[in-house]
Amino acid sequence: MKPARFDYVRAESIAHAVEALAGAGGDGKVLAGGQSLMPMMNFRLVKPSVLVDINRIPDLDRITQEAGVLRLGALVRHRMTAEDGLVARHIPVLHAAMKHVAHLTVRNRGTFCGSVCHADPAAEMPMMTLLLDGTIHIASPRGDRTMAARDFLVGSLSTALEPDEMVVAVDLAIPEDGTGWAFEEFSRRHGDYALAAIAVLMARADGRMRNVRIAMMGIADTALRFADVEAALEGREGTPAAFDEAAALLQAAIQPNSDLNASADYRRHLAGALARRALAEAWQRTGETTGGAA
Amino acid sequence: MTAFDASVEMRPRLVGQRIKRTEDPRLLTGSGRYVDDMAPQGLLHVAVLRSDQPHARIRSIDVGEAFAVPGVVAIFDAGDIAGDFKPAIPTSRMKGYYATPFRPLAEGKVRYVGEPVVAVVAESRYAAEDALELISIDYEPLPVAVSKDDAAMDDAPLLHDEAGTNVIISRTFARGDVDAAIAAAAVVVKGRFRMTRKTPMPMETRSYLAEWDRRRQALTLHSSTNIPGIICDVLGSCLDLPGNRVRVVAPDVGGSFGGKGSLNHEEMLVCVLARKLERPVKFVADRMEDLTAMSQAFDETIEAELAVDADGRLLGLRADVIGDIGAYSIYPWTGALEPVQVVSFLPGPYRMEHYRGRVRGVLTPKPPTGPYRGVGRPSSTFAMERLMDMAARKLGMDPSEIRRRNLVTAEEFPYRTGSGIIWDRSAFQECLQGVCELVDYPALLRQRDAARAEGRWVGIGLASYAELTGIGSRIAVAPGMPINTGTETASIRIDATGAVTAAFGISSHGQGLETTLAQVVADELGCRMEDIEIQHGDSALVPMGTGTYASRSAVLGGGAATKTARVVKAKVLKAAAFLMDVPVDDLEAEGGIIRARSSNATMTFREVAHAVYAQMGRIPHEQREDLVGSESYDPYLGTACASTHLAMVEVDPATFAVTVKRFAVAEDCGRIINPLIVDGQVHGAVAQGIGAALLEEVVHDEGGQLLTASLADYLVPIASTMPEIEILHVEADLPNNIGGFRGMGEGGTIGAPAAIANAVSDALAPLGIEVDTLPVTPDRLFRLVQAARGSARL
Ligand SMILES: Cc1cc2nc3c(=O)[nH]c(=O)nc-3n(C[C@H](O)[C@H](O)[C@H](O)COP(=O)(O)OP(=O)(O)OC[C@H]3O[C@@H](n4cnc5c(N)ncnc54)[C@H](O)[C@@H]3O)c2cc1C
Repeated sequence: MKPARFDYVRAESIAHAVEALAGAGGDGKVLAGGQSLMPMMNFRLVKPSVLVDINRIPDLDRITQEAGVLRLGALVRHRMTAEDGLVARHIPVLHAAMKHVAHLTVRNRGTFCGSVCHADPAAEMPMMTLLLDGTIHIASPRGDRTMAARDFLVGSLSTALEPDEMVVAVDLAIPEDGTGWAFEEFSRRHGDYALAAIAVLMARADGRMRNVRIAMMGIADTALRFADVEAALEGREGTPAAFDEAAALLQAAIQPNSDLNASADYRRHLAGALARRALAEAWQRTGETTGGAA
Repeated sequence: MTAFDASVEMRPRLVGQRIKRTEDPRLLTGSGRYVDDMAPQGLLHVAVLRSDQPHARIRSIDVGEAFAVPGVVAIFDAGDIAGDFKPAIPTSRMKGYYATPFRPLAEGKVRYVGEPVVAVVAESRYAAEDALELISIDYEPLPVAVSKDDAAMDDAPLLHDEAGTNVIISRTFARGDVDAAIAAAAVVVKGRFRMTRKTPMPMETRSYLAEWDRRRQALTLHSSTNIPGIICDVLGSCLDLPGNRVRVVAPDVGGSFGGKGSLNHEEMLVCVLARKLERPVKFVADRMEDLTAMSQAFDETIEAELAVDADGRLLGLRADVIGDIGAYSIYPWTGALEPVQVVSFLPGPYRMEHYRGRVRGVLTPKPPTGPYRGVGRPSSTFAMERLMDMAARKLGMDPSEIRRRNLVTAEEFPYRTGSGIIWDRSAFQECLQGVCELVDYPALLRQRDAARAEGRWVGIGLASYAELTGIGSRIAVAPGMPINTGTETASIRIDATGAVTAAFGISSHGQGLETTLAQVVADELGCRMEDIEIQHGDSALVPMGTGTYASRSAVLGGGAATKTARVVKAKVLKAAAFLMDVPVDDLEAEGGIIRARSSNATMTFREVAHAVYAQMGRIPHEQREDLVGSESYDPYLGTACASTHLAMVEVDPATFAVTVKRFAVAEDCGRIINPLIVDGQVHGAVAQGIGAALLEEVVHDEGGQLLTASLADYLVPIASTMPEIEILHVEADLPNNIGGFRGMGEGGTIGAPAAIANAVSDALAPLGIEVDTLPVTPDRLFRLVQAARGSARL
């Protein structure tokens, strides 16, 4: 369990990093927290010729509030996200989700952006980025660009990132005031990758659900949003019947895999059970809309 | 048999106290020394190319460009080392048994995925692994029967042609007329219970470093083993070296749980290679290699039927057990160790006249099963205790009551079970009663019923068992195995500074034996604990010591320590009597000081030792003796160790997750040397048992490929899995051995799986669900509940 040979570059700046990636001829890898990359290298599942270490690049370890979004730099560790005051205040659903991410030592190193780039179908960060209509900030020798999370996340362990590109930050939309939220996850042990998880955001106006957003993971090759189910709930009253219906729709929409830990049938059952809990909880947390994002 | 020695009891000082482990400061501050910490000059590293086939003939091996990798020194396959060793043969006197030869590298064919085939030796492990990628093996796949049921069929493909069958172990234990008892019984319950395969998972992976001394033509193996004496003996015969030219040292060892308690392929390999290359050679398994190739555990199906009368009294038990022993019969214990013990312990701690237990051990293309904390008893207790609860349910009797009616009582000892095990006195009944009082059982039942009334799935489970520990020479640890596991030797010397060195054949690998044995020696000798160094884990220390396994070291090591310390103490007092000019029986020793009762005059151990060794002529030559002793101890029989576990669980009806809400243990380990260490052993073993009950399962697919090859897929218990564990130590009559100790290193793994299986079954009793497979995962529960609801709807 030792990695194959590689060259190592410690990038001093974003420009230096993307230059080094370009120089690797498509065979370079960014090293962020290393919490997914190093195990894969030790198993020799990936053998990059050059490892571009971004950990010393200044100013990437910040969470800042911009117009309507929180911006998470490429060196924001899971632990920072979990404990950050801005996150707790403005995006409590993310604050709740972070409690389920791995264990202390992994959280101290692993980065939010690294997880989004890794695109594991059972990881919380890509799912939350989808839920929060995330925008990915990308740098390359050809300049900067941004991309919507739903376009960026292509499939299991696969993104739209080019080999000479690096993610510098992810923007997450701050939900409007009074938004109800819920995060429900089930894993075999605390901190394990989820067997299934769901996150819900919804507003309430005139006693009805508005602007419902639902993301799930562990139920397909990638985390998913469910536009049809979201639309079906729009304008409905938050009743157990409505939640049961939505859960049934979700169960019908997903195509979970069978693996060691869970059969597809069990995962589908779990998705429904978690959905019912999360929808009811989010509804409970809604306050009448006061208008305007924070 | 040795009578209980009351003189031990009169002077309790250190034995019985919660003394912090003396090994911990070094281990917790990073000053421990494990095999991987050792790097002698000229060290070479080995990486192993392993079979990716479950059963195949090796047609050819192509090393390609592997020699071109910088740092690669040598590459070996079985043919290259054929003349350098003799295979180890795990012999046994069992009828119909076939001893599979055990070699460092696969010869001719491979028999499981993960079996070592080629060894690359290089200046670094990196280089060795780079070379592995360049080697290819051409296999001719052979037919496989992966499951034990398929492998046991008459026409199944043979894993070892020479054996003529895959069923190399076949035994039956019987007493009375069980068929008649079952036919006539008021109540009969039966089940088909499966204890799936586990892996021991010590924190430190298997690590071996062999050094060949060209000058002495001698071999030293540093090994993460817990049986250095046994390994030393077998290496001596496999490598044709006399015992004074082979030494096996186990330095600090980071756990074993059984996985380091047998001979390993790679352990032999480094020895063969070090002698061949005349350079130190090291192999350190990575986690994946331990998951694929360390000896594994359990893997039995137990079909059993229990007959009870209308009052809940046990009449008879009939069982058919099939154990999957993997591809080889392990050295030295043989593949019989685990499955045969299932049928010998199946009748449990109960009074029951009629019994028939049949067991078959079947070769399959998987890693060999070997010792694992609890051996056999976690499976047998799981099956028997499930049957007890099923019978109680049928009778409408409380599970504690059916146990109370059947547990062997104090007047009945020694009691011989239907399988022939003899239970000596131990707190069978008292542990059941004790655990019920500890948790306030009636109140707990009310709590459960209240939760149930709210529609919650809450259940309580009991598990009573007894085990044999500290086994002497009367009983083989493994059936028919020709190795003496019944004796242990201690060797104690006091040097000229008064310091005490006590050397043992045992091999502590997490049990805290350096602390507990020092407590015993200090009490017996009358010296201070800090003056004692306990040495262990080195085949050169005493003529023969087999190591630490089977909950034996406190009983056998403690007994040997006591006997030897007495001999040495007599010599110290004799010298002191001369020096102080008082009769010997006027002297007593405590805390390193020898005192004359009559005059209150004192001498320290140090002063006496100095006079004996350093002051020529101070003691007349015809009276002078070195302050040394070496005695061995054999408790002859084993001692029973009884316990009852209680678990309270809640099952989440949405996710089917099982949460252990309460866990309590009442156990009788005889005289407690150190309650802190006993508690730690119980905590650790219960955690392991909870792992077996809820999480851990080694899975091979139909093609024989391992699916649980990382810790993301093989789930072990973690802190958040664990409940508070309440412990009650019940000290009933002390056993008939020196010191009155019972072995207690394994028990938690025996009771916990059964208690949790019973608690989950109780929680789901409203649905009529009986748990029959462990681990009871959310997915398994989901399917059980679905099936129960489906049939209820019909
Ligand atoms: C024991 C354990 C348990 C875990 N449990 C969980 C869990 O419960 N939930 C969960 O979500 N995750 C879990 N993880 C994974 C963890 O969250 C990882 O930290 C995360 O997936 C990757 O982030 P990283 O910073 O460590 O990235 P790295 O491992 O350094 O990189 C991962 C991949 O992303 C690329 N990359 C990283 N940063 C960038 C960037 N800025 N630009 C371009 N490419 C980049 C790398 O090149 C690599 O391909 C666990 C990991 C471990 C070891």
